[in-house]
Amino acid sequence: MARVNNWQLGREMSYWYPEERPNKQFAAVFDINKCIACQTCTLACKTTWTSGKGQEYMLWNNVETKPYGFYPLSWDLKLLEMLDGQEWSEDGGRYEGRTIFESAPAGERVLGWRPEDEDYSYPNVGEDDCAGQVDGGASIQMPHMAWFYYLARICNHCTYPACLSACPRGSIYKRPEDGIVLVDQGRCRGYQECVRGCPYKKVFYNAMTGTSEKCIGCFPKIEQGLQPQCFVNCIGKIRLAGWISKPGEERPDNPIDYLVRIKKIALPLFPQFGLEPNVYYIPPIHVPTSFTRQMFGPGVDAAIEAYKAAGAEGDDDLTGLLGLFGSTEEVLARWKRSGDTITGYNDKGEEAVSVPLREPVSIRPSYDKLYQITRVNCP
Amino acid sequence: MKKTIPKIVLLAFAILVAYASCGGRTVSLSEVVVVPDQQITLDPTDGAWYAHPYHPAKLILQDMVEPRLLEPSTVEVEVTAMTDGKQIAFRLEWVDDSQNDLPGPQAFIDGCAIQLPTEESVSIPAPQMGEEHKAVDIAFWRADWQAIVDGRADEITSIYPNATVDHYPFDAESLKKDPDAKRRMEQRYAPARRLGNNRSGPRKVPVEDLRAEGPGTLSPAKTVSTGKGVRTEKGWSVVISRPVPGFLSKEKSSNIAFAIWQGANRETGARKMRTGWIPLVIRGAENE
Ligand code: SF4
Ligand code: SF4
Repeated sequence: MARVNNWQLGREMSYWYPEERPNKQFAAVFDINKCIACQTCTLACKTTWTSGKGQEYMLWNNVETKPYGFYPLSWDLKLLEMLDGQEWSEDGGRYEGRTIFESAPAGERVLGWRPEDEDYSYPNVGEDDCAGQVDGGASIQMPHMAWFYYLARICNHCTYPACLSACPRGSIYKRPEDGIVLVDQGRCRGYQECVRGCPYKKVFYNAMTGTSEKCIGCFPKIEQGLQPQCFVNCIGKIRLAGWISKPGEERPDNPIDYLVRIKKIALPLFPQFGLEPNVYYIPPIHVPTSFTRQMFGPGVDAAIEAYKAAGAEGDDDLTGLLGLFGSTEEVLARWKRSGDTITGYNDKGEEAVSVPLREPVSIRPSYDKLYQITRVNCP
Repeated sequence: MKKTIPKIVLLAFAILVAYASCGGRTVSLSEVVVVPDQQITLDPTDGAWYAHPYHPAKLILQDMVEPRLLEPSTVEVEVTAMTDGKQIAFRLEWVDDSQNDLPGPQAFIDGCAIQLPTEESVSIPAPQMGEEHKAVDIAFWRADWQAIVDGRADEITSIYPNATVDHYPFDAESLKKDPDAKRRMEQRYAPARRLGNNRSGPRKVPVEDLRAEGPGTLSPAKTVSTGKGVRTEKGWSVVISRPVPGFLSKEKSSNIAFAIWQGANRETGARKMRTGWIPLVIRGAENE
């Protein structure tokens, strides 16, 4: 085992291979507050990549309702139960517990488990199920007393992938050009060690090809400077793809750096597992943070505060940047606000898109005087 | 001096028991004896196998690399061997309560393998998958491949009988008249098959040839082996046949190793039971 730096944990940790960050690292921010669980992302991925024999059950992208939704069943609870003591330092800057690499039992490369066939049979389990109950006389308050939220998930193209370290024959690799993690379909022998190792359960075994398959970050699109299918088809415009800089090299004009490292409103999923995952979530603002703190780490309260302040206190930079989500098919490497206009630039430094700080709003009166009719919103 | 006496005694005892008779069959305790025969058979149930001595090879844990089993599973594999001068065939029999030949998530497959040094490995390679510049040749039989060779259809319903699939893109009406375009479309959703990964796709033989230079280096090799496996009352009986290696003759012995995977115990890859090197000799009963 080597010692590597995991900035999400604020410390070094043990990993199977030495630290070797890619030249560029694919990263994404998902704004949970905007997801409506329409599953358009799921289908965009399904129709593009997993329509073959043996892929029927695979959802490289899935959207589950938290707290009771999981795909596969209990993917997170199982590991959380196995992982001892997940404490953070009092100021939240340092993870004091052990990662899945540091907790690997004898004979194993990582602490993991493998779902049973049946665990993949209920992709909609817990959908729209609320935590808590609403008693008589209750009124809406923040955070909500009864709550749920939608968690859209893809492979995190982790800096320290457990899938990669679990594979005994080096069939999984991380591309130096973009940090995308791939299973070499020519080399894989279907041992399912990656399925066991990935804590997010984002590698799937294909019984018809005898190999394991996973989200490929739509690399043929990324190579053309375009965002993946699940990003550009997202109805809620919750997703933004880009690049995250190496620790210490963050730039405020890089949209991902700005949201993740500077404003810190987007947080990794289960950072305590130790993989340095590269999909970052703006946590749901209406959910008690006693729950989301375990899922997104100790930065949750501050992230929610900063997110709320963007609108309430007129943080035009942050508000404007959030307006770039879902505005273009191109990957945005840089961004800039000039007055009321926010511009996103592609990898070549060319303008990809410009959006207004605030979309103009016009409200139609509910009564149409011309036709003397009351307007309704449903068809 | 003290130490040599017990050794001599042990040696004499070993020679005495080397060819014991067990239930009418001859047991060879210290080596795998390959008996020359007019004709070799790939049928594990063929009576010819019972005329030859078998070697009860004790299995031990793969203990070199992670991941690995911590608890031993299959205890022993019985090996019988014969040669017609060109091919050398090994019959492996072992106890396995359950038949595991359906692949799937968290479903693992029964299998066995034989390992020999390569022609180039002049001195004997490390027993667990060989080592750098001292490669080993492996022939690997799997129960799911056997089922495919025996006629199991290359369909998802062979694995999940109740599966219903609305539509695959390659079943589109427009592709029905163009088998090539259909195949290309099919491979678009099966990259392992498109790349010719030996693990994927329909097969004609249930055995795969591989070469390794240490753990994690297993690579496909030219297909030279064949075989057949059948389910027995107690487990599996599998014949693996391959060309006689150039370094093995009546005058010159070699070594062989075996490995067994028990699907029910989720054994796969390095999670396996195996032997060390066992002496391999060609010796006809009539020559003794
Ligand atoms: S999320 Fe899982 S599959 Fe994706 S890179 Fe990380 S460990 Fe590998
Ligand atoms: S398409 Fe967007 S809004 Fe719809 S479920 Fe997916 S992530 Fe949520």
